[in-house]
Amino acid sequence: MVKNKKTIVSSFLSHALLIIATILAVFPLVWIFLSSVKGKGELTQFPTRFFPKDFTLEYFIHVIRDLHFIDNIKNSVLISLSTTVIAIIISSTAAYGIVRFFPKLGSIMSKLLITTYIFPPILLAIPYSLVMATIGLSNSLIGLIIVYLSFSVPYAVWLLVGFFQTVPIGIEESAQMDGANKFTIFFRVVLPIVAPGIVATAIYTFINAWNEFLYALILINDTSKMTVAVALRSLNGSEILDWGDMMAASVIVVLPSIIFFIFIQNKIASGLSEGAVK
Amino acid sequence: MLIKKFDYARWLFVMPAIIVVGLLFVYPFLSSIYFSFTTKNLLSPNYQFVGLDNYRKVLADPDFWNSFFNSLKWTFFSLAGQVLVGFILALAIHRIKRFKWLYRTLLIIPWAFPTIVIAFSWQWILNGVYGYLPNLIVKLGLMNNPPAFFTDSTWAFVCLVGINIWFGAPLIMVNVLSALQTVPQEQFEAARIDGASSWQVFRFITLPHIRVVIGLLVVLRTIWIFNNFDIVYLLTGGGPSNATTTLPIFAYNLGWGTQLLGRSSAVTVLLFLFLLTICLLYFYIIRKWEKESK
Repeated sequence: MVKNKKTIVSSFLSHALLIIATILAVFPLVWIFLSSVKGKGELTQFPTRFFPKDFTLEYFIHVIRDLHFIDNIKNSVLISLSTTVIAIIISSTAAYGIVRFFPKLGSIMSKLLITTYIFPPILLAIPYSLVMATIGLSNSLIGLIIVYLSFSVPYAVWLLVGFFQTVPIGIEESAQMDGANKFTIFFRVVLPIVAPGIVATAIYTFINAWNEFLYALILINDTSKMTVAVALRSLNGSEILDWGDMMAASVIVVLPSIIFFIFIQNKIASGLSEGAVK
Repeated sequence: MLIKKFDYARWLFVMPAIIVVGLLFVYPFLSSIYFSFTTKNLLSPNYQFVGLDNYRKVLADPDFWNSFFNSLKWTFFSLAGQVLVGFILALAIHRIKRFKWLYRTLLIIPWAFPTIVIAFSWQWILNGVYGYLPNLIVKLGLMNNPPAFFTDSTWAFVCLVGINIWFGAPLIMVNVLSALQTVPQEQFEAARIDGASSWQVFRFITLPHIRVVIGLLVVLRTIWIFNNFDIVYLLTGGGPSNATTTLPIFAYNLGWGTQLLGRSSAVTVLLFLFLLTICLLYFYIIRKWEKESK
């Protein structure tokens, strides 16, 4: 009986704690959303109303149409998608190669990942900007995509090694006896099995590229080529961008990230803890 | 004797990744080290070799040391907060039976925030005039005048760390949660039958099982927070009056503000060396843990 009571109390406390934490976690999202649809003048009104009195999409229209924000969204989508496709092609072959042909390397993957992490992006940014200027790729989306491979490939390889390690070798051996070569086995047998893991890794790569800021700030100066984040930053503080616009832009930038994220959170986390113990 | 044919296929699989990592890490790294010994700047193509001059100037610069200590504070408090909050939330979710999925899904939302949106949303919430939180504080009568969140040096730092905890705790939570699921259930039951308290269960069963994962997470987070540029840059820009300038911001200002790329490179190389030392220390500890659990 005593035990039961204790369990009830601790579960009640857990729920109370989680509810408070959840409110803190989602408040900024709720608040930017509400602020983005409040009528003109309501944002600077006292006392602050929680829910909008007049609903309006004016800020969204202003940001997308008048500020040519749509071009920056296109840039961000293009860069993130290209980075993802290239990184996944390079990383999935590498991860498979490591798991099947270089298993010793597979056992120290976490250390290899951490080694690439130690290089401060700000250290790499200086040579990147100089090299891109020399080869004529400064201010270009292609240059930025190449640079984005620096953080997406190591992380993707690391995640994918975890997924490829779950493929039983027996399946491959029987395919080999049927006369399939290494590449056929990889494309026809192994890839379909790890497809869910590859999708999760791809989405994670996409989000990271979508959210990146430092390299985009340093390598792109031309407004028409800026990514969403850098374009917003450059308008921040100027007269053309008021709080309502900033909130509408925030909603546009944050929504794809969150929606994708909720889909893959499970896979990414289990990948990490499995990768860590190996 | 059979001479093994050189197996080119396996190299084909890993070559593209090796080339990409080589080009994007090894070359820039060596070139940064090289530039750190020169007077390289953004304006003119000519530069000279000056030996250790940049390092001497950087190490004699009080602003460098200010940024270094800011970086230490920023990393320590953010990391401690993220681990503590993430751990507690993971244990709470692990304990309950209902709504697990719902809490988990809502609690990871901050992790998905792009930095620019972190900056905009929190600057708006904490805005000195129209901010929801300052107005709430006054309305509830907690303070007559709410603190100047981003213009007071101490508050600016506290806000930065708080926002970083808000952003990073979900990552710790999700990973601890999935590590908790790897702890064998029989051991819990056995301990409970033996009458162990929940603290004892945590200390002697849960913790030894998950500490290698946690250790790795802590290493990754330490590096990530120490190297972070955009959260600080977008929220405070290092201000007010350098109170929140961390090393990456300091290096950025030297390189792109005052155009001194050579000296900026020296700062980033020092940053790298410091992180390397910290990581080797962590690895030493984690290796000890791994041996113990075998």
